[in-house]
Amino acid sequence: MAEDLLQAENICVGYGRGDIVHGVDVSVSAGRIATIIGPNGAGKSTMIKAIAGVLMRREGSIRIDGQEIGGKPASEIARCGVAYVPQEANVFRQLTVTENLQMGSWIEPEEFDGRYEKVCALFPILKERGKVRAGNLSGGQRQMVAFGMALMVEPKVLLLDEPSAGLSPAMVEQMFDIIKQVNKTGIAVLMVEQNAMQALKISDHGYVMAAGQVAMSAPASELLDSSEVSELYLGTRQ
Amino acid sequence: MSGQLIINGIVNASLIAPPAIAFSLLFGILRFPNFAIGAYVTVGAFIAYALNVGAGMPLWVAGLGAMAGTAVVVWLSDVLVFKPMRGHTPVTLLVVSIALALIIEHVIRLFYGADVRGFDLPLERPIKFAGMRITGEQIDIIIMTIVIGIAIHLLLQYTRIGKAMRATADNEVLAEVRGINTSYVIAFTWLVCGALFGLTGVFAGLDLVIEPLVGWYLTIPIFAAAILGGIGSPYGAMLGSLLVGLAEELTVLVLPSSYKIGVGFVIIAVLLLIRPHGLLGQPEIKK
Amino acid sequence: MSAYLISMATFVGFFMILALALNLQWGMTGMVNFGIAGFYALGAYTSGLLSVKLGWPVGITIAMSCVTGLIAGGLVALLSMRLREDYLAIVTLGFGEIVRLIALNEDQITEGPRGLKIDARPFADMFDRETYPLVYLGLVALAVAVVFVIVECIRRSPMGRTLRAIREDDVVAEVLGKNVLRHRIQVFALGGAFMGLAGALYAHYVQNISPEVFMPMVAIFIWMSVIVGGAGNNWGLLLGAGVVMTILEGSRFMGDFIDFLDAEQLSAIRIIVIGVLLIAILRVRPRGLIPEPKFSFAAASTDQERQPSIENAK
Repeated sequence: MAEDLLQAENICVGYGRGDIVHGVDVSVSAGRIATIIGPNGAGKSTMIKAIAGVLMRREGSIRIDGQEIGGKPASEIARCGVAYVPQEANVFRQLTVTENLQMGSWIEPEEFDGRYEKVCALFPILKERGKVRAGNLSGGQRQMVAFGMALMVEPKVLLLDEPSAGLSPAMVEQMFDIIKQVNKTGIAVLMVEQNAMQALKISDHGYVMAAGQVAMSAPASELLDSSEVSELYLGTRQ
Repeated sequence: MSGQLIINGIVNASLIAPPAIAFSLLFGILRFPNFAIGAYVTVGAFIAYALNVGAGMPLWVAGLGAMAGTAVVVWLSDVLVFKPMRGHTPVTLLVVSIALALIIEHVIRLFYGADVRGFDLPLERPIKFAGMRITGEQIDIIIMTIVIGIAIHLLLQYTRIGKAMRATADNEVLAEVRGINTSYVIAFTWLVCGALFGLTGVFAGLDLVIEPLVGWYLTIPIFAAAILGGIGSPYGAMLGSLLVGLAEELTVLVLPSSYKIGVGFVIIAVLLLIRPHGLLGQPEIKK
Repeated sequence: MSAYLISMATFVGFFMILALALNLQWGMTGMVNFGIAGFYALGAYTSGLLSVKLGWPVGITIAMSCVTGLIAGGLVALLSMRLREDYLAIVTLGFGEIVRLIALNEDQITEGPRGLKIDARPFADMFDRETYPLVYLGLVALAVAVVFVIVECIRRSPMGRTLRAIREDDVVAEVLGKNVLRHRIQVFALGGAFMGLAGALYAHYVQNISPEVFMPMVAIFIWMSVIVGGAGNNWGLLLGAGVVMTILEGSRFMGDFIDFLDAEQLSAIRIIVIGVLLIAILRVRPRGLIPEPKFSFAAASTDQERQPSIENAK
């Protein structure tokens, strides 16, 4: 079997004593979008944090392009081309918008100018409000800063934890459009979403997590058609 | 008369400002008030004393030595004491920092006793104008504090490491996720702050006296300045220092000067009641 | 020698009262107090001055010390209602320092650094000089017992449960409908009253009080006692107070064996030992050597080593 761009196998991780995620496999290949859905407390965010290195996985292997990154600190994983956008506290509140974007290209500061133009083309507001402190922006604008900062990395893999959380319906639409657009440039996207319906619509593959394990893994279109999934996770959202 | 008090207040503020900036920077990382800052200042004063009077070096060399030496001591206090305990509750860490302050103070007593000392300096006549007086050393302190303030501003605003310091203080996890080696940045922050505490020790030796409690007497004004300016805001700390420095001196108009040390507390208490986030600070948004 | 032991036991008694009061405030309710020396001094000077200057009977002056401690505690708690615990630490420390400064500077009333001489002692005329120290020790022991019973009763009562809820999370307690502010003020005031009592007993025991006794360091000894004994655990901290006093006093005898250090250096070493032990204990057992009974999960939920994670920021 060919190795995917991001390949995580048999991940066990948790906070402190007990594990929350018990032996989960997830993979995404270049240019694809995979979404993890599931009920609250299923371990979705925990899983994505383990891949980003924010939480140290207790067991399992995580590889980017065949290179093992499991057990490395988050700052080194970032240098392997992984950009993680946390759900909350995902901007530097005391720093200006432009400074936030500078932090995005921290690893390759010489690339800042070119990437800055690209990111601002996607989110013109970031240029307009460049001198404003990120903490003073509205929730939606902050989310754009967070997203823009991650794109400044020009990552191979984008890890998104609930990118639509706290956004107005119109903005959710826009956000998913942008994710799709970014993905077309060849970036692999792995996201966790409550907004399962819309997320699966733009995804290639879907994972359903429950109680710390993968309950289903199938192409996104199949999950959307599955009566079981729609009843359990999509029904209330339709 | 009050002109003299304002001069004294500015000198006082210049003494408080560098450690208040350092305290603010450290708070961004530690998230608890480190009560050992006064002890760090005392360390600086005694290293400078040992190099100046003990080893006979000129004061400026001794001062640089004190900055370097204090930076190392302060950094070691993180490596040995605070770093292994990161994640404990603020109160636990606060008690630890007080214990550390006691340890440092008494290690100094062990070697130097409780005697009051001073640097080996030629006596200079104070400069007099319009009935007010200021010593050459006090002018040096004011100038150096202004230089330090500008230098810290440039460091934080325009250098790569300075931006990393601000980012790490703001959101350590996110900084790490963006590829910043935060443990290196934190160590650097401790060293910078240590140098500032060391320098303050030298200032204190020049303007006050050198004794094991010299830093302790500065601790509360430093807290007051940092809280007044909004904890975690280095610029606020500078403004706060000016206000506390002036307030402490001007109370002499209404209260006996022996109550000076109480002024800081009163400022803190009143301020926390009316504006808990300080003058320039931003409210912490709790989820 | 036995006179020395009796005197040491009496001092342990003062420590125990202070430690019980701190345990009520911090161990059981989670309110920080670094101004212990201030409440202690307030009690000592209230009783001392009322008896020296106004000639009030000792029983009444000691009661008045409790009242001033109560009022001061209530006022400080009122100040703290909107403050985070680390700010409360600074405010209480400030309170302690201001009390000390007043005692030091208003020397027309307090005699300042010369020290206030207090002749009055409870029941002094009923006993001879040999047995009196023992009687006083009994009196202090009685005070410890009374304070202990009160604090322990509170701990076991429904109010004790509410206090623990406040300690773990004010917001939750507030949502549950517990009047957090009222409880905080009550507890802090009561703790202040006990500290005032300890101060009064101290004043009439040593009969000469001066401001330098009431340095902030007193707070550290009491914190040490509570932390050694285990926060929230009243039995444990009685032991803790004894341990701290033994280290403080026991190291005096080191001087007999180590003759190259002078008295000042020995006293410095004592403090260093206390400080190092305090840090070591906090590092290994942040909730004390003897954890709080029946509530051991509190240790896990409030002070466990945390993973570096965004989850913790919530």
